[in-house]
Amino acid sequence: MHEIVANPAPQSDFSKIKCIEGFDRIRSEYSAYLCDESKLPPKPFDFLFFPKDEAELAAILCEMQRRKIHVTIAAARTGLVGGSVPSDGALVSLELLDQVQEVYFHAESDEWRVRAQTSVSLKSLETMLRFKQFPTLDQSTDAAVNHNLALFKEDVEHYFYPPDPTEMSASLGGSVVTNASGARTYRYGPTRAWVRGLRVYLANGEYLDIPRGKYFASPGGQFVVWTSKGEACNITIPDYAQPKTKSTAGLFAAPDMDLVDLFIGSEGVLGVVTSIEVALVKKEDKVSVIQFLDSDEQAVQLTLALRAEKRLQLDFLEFYSGNALNLLRNLQKTEPSTVGMPVIPDDAKSAIFIEMSFDPHADQFDFSILEKVVASCGADLARSWAGYESRELDRFKVFRHMVPETINSILAERKKQYPGIHKLGTDMAVPDDHLEEMWALYKSRCEALGLEWAAFGHIGNNHIHVNIMPRNMGELEKGMQLYAEFAKKTVEFGGAVSAEHGIGKIKSHFLPLMFNPAQIQQMRNLKQALDPQGLLNPNNIFPAEVHA
Amino acid sequence: MKIVVCIKQVPEVTNVQVDPETGTLIREGVKSILNPFCEYALDHAVRLKQEFEDVTISVISMGPPQAKDALLRCLELGADEGILVTDRKFAGADSWVTALTLAEAIRLTVPDYDLILVGKQAIDGDTAQVGPEIAEILSLPQITYGIEVGLSSTRKQVRVKQEVERGYEVVEASLPALITCSKGEVVRRAPSFLDVLNARKKPIRSVSADDLGIPAEELGLKGSFTQVVKVFPPPEKKCGRLVQNLETDQAAAEIFNFLKEKRFIE
Repeated sequence: MHEIVANPAPQSDFSKIKCIEGFDRIRSEYSAYLCDESKLPPKPFDFLFFPKDEAELAAILCEMQRRKIHVTIAAARTGLVGGSVPSDGALVSLELLDQVQEVYFHAESDEWRVRAQTSVSLKSLETMLRFKQFPTLDQSTDAAVNHNLALFKEDVEHYFYPPDPTEMSASLGGSVVTNASGARTYRYGPTRAWVRGLRVYLANGEYLDIPRGKYFASPGGQFVVWTSKGEACNITIPDYAQPKTKSTAGLFAAPDMDLVDLFIGSEGVLGVVTSIEVALVKKEDKVSVIQFLDSDEQAVQLTLALRAEKRLQLDFLEFYSGNALNLLRNLQKTEPSTVGMPVIPDDAKSAIFIEMSFDPHADQFDFSILEKVVASCGADLARSWAGYESRELDRFKVFRHMVPETINSILAERKKQYPGIHKLGTDMAVPDDHLEEMWALYKSRCEALGLEWAAFGHIGNNHIHVNIMPRNMGELEKGMQLYAEFAKKTVEFGGAVSAEHGIGKIKSHFLPLMFNPAQIQQMRNLKQALDPQGLLNPNNIFPAEVHA
Repeated sequence: MKIVVCIKQVPEVTNVQVDPETGTLIREGVKSILNPFCEYALDHAVRLKQEFEDVTISVISMGPPQAKDALLRCLELGADEGILVTDRKFAGADSWVTALTLAEAIRLTVPDYDLILVGKQAIDGDTAQVGPEIAEILSLPQITYGIEVGLSSTRKQVRVKQEVERGYEVVEASLPALITCSKGEVVRRAPSFLDVLNARKKPIRSVSADDLGIPAEELGLKGSFTQVVKVFPPPEKKCGRLVQNLETDQAAAEIFNFLKEKRFIE
């Protein structure tokens, strides 16, 4: 089925909705809403709304459409590309839509699922699942909800939601509209793989309930969305192919695609996601291992070897370059308790961080395959750190995230002298067969230009974050040129200029590197079909002139 | 040289949540860990082992069969053998009976010990009594709240940096002795994955009530002088009075008036 009928907008009196009006008041009393984690310089906007339910959201959307006012949507504001930073108009913060709505077993798929409002944070979802405690569901008066919850609690197994973007204070909705990924994407894929249904509000205040597996593009690559008043909105899916790697660049398009996939990763330009249904996976005991190595190149070789050994099922495969370890070494000298790990061995010149299933109570252990693979690259499992208790897994995770945090604090210091300075963090992924070349390019070019840099991240997905740390404005300029060079090469290799952060406002100028003008026009046409006045999340994905 | 480290497995309390209706701890999903203070004690033992080649470390724990996991953690971190003192007859033991049982188990399994290290307290019970009680039962000199542990050149004495209210003291005791360990500047060790795998090949001995020869009426709940009647979370601390955005003079006056009003100052 490729036709879907929108539900009428639920009614609410717009005049009674709390609205903060005027940029001066917003700036002085609600300054946190001016920006997100991207630190994109804020621009003036006129209205700030906090809808407390979907009816209020619908009323706001209807009124903004009537008055032709741009609407930017925000939730946890943890994005890194400025997606929730308004350019003008109104900012609608969905933070009050933060309830888990249902936990139930989907018999047909043989999986537990959670349905939740958009602003439930990934961290709180994780905690609720860990303890099987859902405060709002426990108080529910709905017999079916209570029954399903009781069944979930009775199940002796524990379950978790696999996507794990670094920033766990991110909202579930935010992670869906950016198709967020993280370390565990190596095994479990990005957010898209776990979304089983969405409720999406359109710019006109009407909404679509889209379960996965019900609405597919027609053979001609089309969907038809019928408004509740019987008007047809024809959507043509762009005909470009997705890169053969992780990608959050541009709108998702594929032949016979599921309608739900159109909204995942759409960065809010097509509609407002208010409710999400996701699948859960049975929890297994895990062990984290940080394998220290002699060089960055050995880390790349070990990655290739681990990936090639199909009998090894790793949850993630992450990387620290030698200079990233040096940053942590320096931090350990000044703040050992902040790092919270033993002293990094002097002879460690890079490291690979893996996680895999591990039953500490098993009678027999056979990790001989891992030992052989590690040894085949000239490394030694004795030169590693390992942890499997939950507090250890947490400690290792903090350590894994410490490199970007350290870089951010270094840049914050430099900003005092050069206010215009900022870090340049790549978010590019290439197909498997280009990992070595891409790494060689990253390293040789950064070193040739004498820049200060460090690299870390998802090497298992050929998605290394190279962070350049300019020491002055000249280096910033050099770094920006280098960044563009990396982006160009990534596209040449068939990769994605944005693998997990999205395009937002900050990276929209890279879009033309991956897509030709006709393809970008196809995306614009798609947006225009669903949002004819171009009101939703202006300037996200598409360069600013589209909305000028 | 033989070092015994007494350890306890405890719930990972940082993750414990309280049922808002019953006020009891929610055990669902809560893992057990090696008590952090016991891990600091082990850390001192491992340091001594790294310094003196002939040191062997025996870790001993009284608890249910699953306490073996805490022993395994110690074996991963460098201990040589584990001793699990486990029997249903030990259930419900208070701090005194625990100390009595552990002391007997030490006498039985490592009779020629030179040094006993224990954590200053367990993070679930927080009594800080078991270590000193073991020392009393075994008639050993004891030093509490140790944060650095070293041996004299003759290795006949232990030298301990001890936390005291206003700083530190360095105290010595003749061996054999018992030290209770506080945190100090320790960052938890991380074993290598090879250590994790090899730990599973190290011996863990099991000791039962019958092995110890303590009369049944002196064990477990029967032998305990104290009992836990009820477990409940402390009432949440209320936020104090918060005064913000004042100039320095105003802030000082505000504090002065508050202290005077409450009669802390004249």
